[in-house]
Amino acid sequence: MRSSWPELLFILGTLFFSASSVIARAQKTEASTGAQRFMEYCAGCHGADGRGGPKAPSLINPANRARLSDSELSRIVHDGTRGGMPPFAQIGDENIVAVLQYVRRLAANPVVTGALPEPAVTGDVDAGRALYFGKAQCSKCHLMRGKGGFIARNLSNYGRTHGAEAILQSITDPDAPLVPSSQVVVVTTHDGQKITGVLRNEDAFTVELLTEDGRFHLFSRNDVTDVRYTEHSLMPRDYGKRLTSKELNDIVSFLVTESRSQGVNGSASQ
Amino acid sequence: MLRWQRISSQFASRFSRLDTIALLLLLTFCGAAYGRTRPQRTNQTVQHAAEHDDVTGLINVQNGDLLQKAAAQNWVSYNGDYSGARHSSLTQISPGNVGRLTAQWVFHPRVVSPLEVTPVVAAGVMFVTSANDAYALDARTGKVLWHHIRALSQGLVDDPAQHRNRGVAILGTRIYMVTDNAHLLCLDARSGHLIWEIPYAIGNRNYGSTSAPLIVNDKVIVGISGGDAGVRGFVAAFNAQTGEEKWRFWTIPGPGEKGNESWPGDSYLHGGGTTWLPGTYDPELNTLYWGTGNPAPDYDGSVRPGDDLYTSCVLALDPDTGALKWYFQFSPHDLYDFDAVQTPIIVDANFKGQPRKLIVTANRNGFLYILDRVNGKFLLAKSFTTQNWTKGVDENGRPISAGLIPDEKGVRVCPANGGATNWYSPTYDPATHVFYFRSYDACATIQSNPKPFEEGTAYYATGLRNADETGKAYINAFNLDTLDFEWRDLQIGRSKGWGGLMSTATGLIAYGDDAQNFVILDARSGKPVWHFHVGQLIHASPMAYATKGKQYFAIAAGGDVFSFALP
Repeated sequence: MRSSWPELLFILGTLFFSASSVIARAQKTEASTGAQRFMEYCAGCHGADGRGGPKAPSLINPANRARLSDSELSRIVHDGTRGGMPPFAQIGDENIVAVLQYVRRLAANPVVTGALPEPAVTGDVDAGRALYFGKAQCSKCHLMRGKGGFIARNLSNYGRTHGAEAILQSITDPDAPLVPSSQVVVVTTHDGQKITGVLRNEDAFTVELLTEDGRFHLFSRNDVTDVRYTEHSLMPRDYGKRLTSKELNDIVSFLVTESRSQGVNGSASQ
Repeated sequence: MLRWQRISSQFASRFSRLDTIALLLLLTFCGAAYGRTRPQRTNQTVQHAAEHDDVTGLINVQNGDLLQKAAAQNWVSYNGDYSGARHSSLTQISPGNVGRLTAQWVFHPRVVSPLEVTPVVAAGVMFVTSANDAYALDARTGKVLWHHIRALSQGLVDDPAQHRNRGVAILGTRIYMVTDNAHLLCLDARSGHLIWEIPYAIGNRNYGSTSAPLIVNDKVIVGISGGDAGVRGFVAAFNAQTGEEKWRFWTIPGPGEKGNESWPGDSYLHGGGTTWLPGTYDPELNTLYWGTGNPAPDYDGSVRPGDDLYTSCVLALDPDTGALKWYFQFSPHDLYDFDAVQTPIIVDANFKGQPRKLIVTANRNGFLYILDRVNGKFLLAKSFTTQNWTKGVDENGRPISAGLIPDEKGVRVCPANGGATNWYSPTYDPATHVFYFRSYDACATIQSNPKPFEEGTAYYATGLRNADETGKAYINAFNLDTLDFEWRDLQIGRSKGWGGLMSTATGLIAYGDDAQNFVILDARSGKPVWHFHVGQLIHASPMAYATKGKQYFAIAAGGDVFSFALP
């Protein structure tokens, strides 16, 4: 019988491809788990890109990174610190490992996170301001120095804790990663009403949402038909198409410049 | 004729056949129309969510809401309403059912020290502060809706260094709070996001703040702390929209101003007279009533001769301009740390048979005062504790000094420097004309070791704080009709209590006792009718609110906020 090399190759190739894509998916799952846990537990104080802020130090500073071993870092996350970091033993060892792996990756890829050295802003700040309050409609949801909407995060200090690259990414790819307090959830009640809002708190018994009109909705899980986690925030996901590169750069420049132009507001809201 | 025949023939006789047919048609039409207007089962969007049962109201407190005469569903400010009476008009919880009161939830904030906040509730959302943090909680469940985080300030002195905070004011969709280092914050009430921030006390490192702001008309009004550390006291008002400063009344007069005789040189800059509790407001008289603290330095009067205006006073201010309408000084030239910031409760009642507009307040110096709030005229001072620093008051309410001057050796003074009463809230029931307050009967040995003012340290002229002797604490009920006490409850417990009071229209008094209990008394008899052991010292005053048809009591106790309701 003639050997079916092409077929064998095809089968092997398919197997290899499947295996590697499974591995890649597993790695992506692992990576995204680490990112998600980081957003959930760490970003509130250490910043979405790990660069720190008024409440906690940078995690990606090369000096810090070099100083601490994996087991030392693990202990810090587990037990907290005297400086005020709470213990996170309760999130479980698997999550601690995932978070630390994510932190190592963050630190290893400073360009992605826009870490030091800080590039100068290259866009037109005034044009960016006009876009922010106008065509791009950022102010519909976001506060900037007291002006704007309330439902999304306050951007007044955003440019202090996030570099230009990170800001651009959070505009064009707003759900990567999804900050838990931004998650949009849709609850369907027994009489068929659908209420869509941003998740404010939840446990095994209740889910509470904030809707765009400013009301808070408390649902008992027993009293609703469905609770759907959309895995998205309210932010439009098509800014990359809606705005030109110049417009995006202008907005980023505005956010960075505005954050640095006045004293730090030492407050943050979650 | 049978009864129904009689009725129908009577009916028929009143209405013609045509009318009857018309009536029947009308009823049929109405019935059909009703069937059509019943709620449809559709997929509805968020715009219709307001009809859903489990939703909070829209947080948008108007000036009209702030004018409510007694706290009802909403407790819209530190004292619940402008009178400062801390009297709830809610009637769901009464002496008949209060025995069934049960805990609903507990909330534990990030920073605790202990809590001094009185929660504010509007539209089913509760706002509390803890040090420099603010929280919005769902008032039914105690779960966090948002959390505004701010680090503790470093380098503060004396009271502000303890990072206490008494809570928020609310107007529109914004809440207002002070920080320990005397910044006024304006936050969005739906999200906790910072809208603006104003540092409002500069020029002296010893300034700080521990209070809650008060909204009057379009302004947010704040006092200041740090009096025992030698600052110059003031009351200031800011535009609630923009944060622009509108007026500032200095409680220590500067050169050329009336009352400056007590303040030689630049001592006025360190005269004290701070304003560290929210005042009260009469909208009809458009007058703000605000108490001032003791003069600085404590205990050493040699550097501040004369009456030391306007320390240890109640001030009547124009809330639009800050102009002084009148003042009454409880303790001229105070030598014993007798602050007068205690709530000047606004009362409309008969005084000696005549209807009058009054201020009723129990003072640290051991007198309960009744004043006419239109012109500040002194009406009555009733001693409610052991007093040896004074021989009584004259016909103008001015105390006659017994000549006790603190010196190096020390003099024994009653009441103690902590006062015959302190900042813990009193309450007033307008239906029974009874004024309820906590008192402390004790003496202390007070020394004076003068030292000059220094930024970064307290300005007590003692070198070390004296310790007061263990005294007797009471909850008191004072009847304005009889001008006498109805009852005085001796408190039992190991700790000196700092829990203030509130009252309800159903005749209940709620407060934290000296043994870590949250207690409810029958207001008429003073007897306890319910209590719950919170397991922590209560250093705050309770409030009441209602949402979704259910009434609650809430109190900050130690490091937690507790809420109670009927099961």
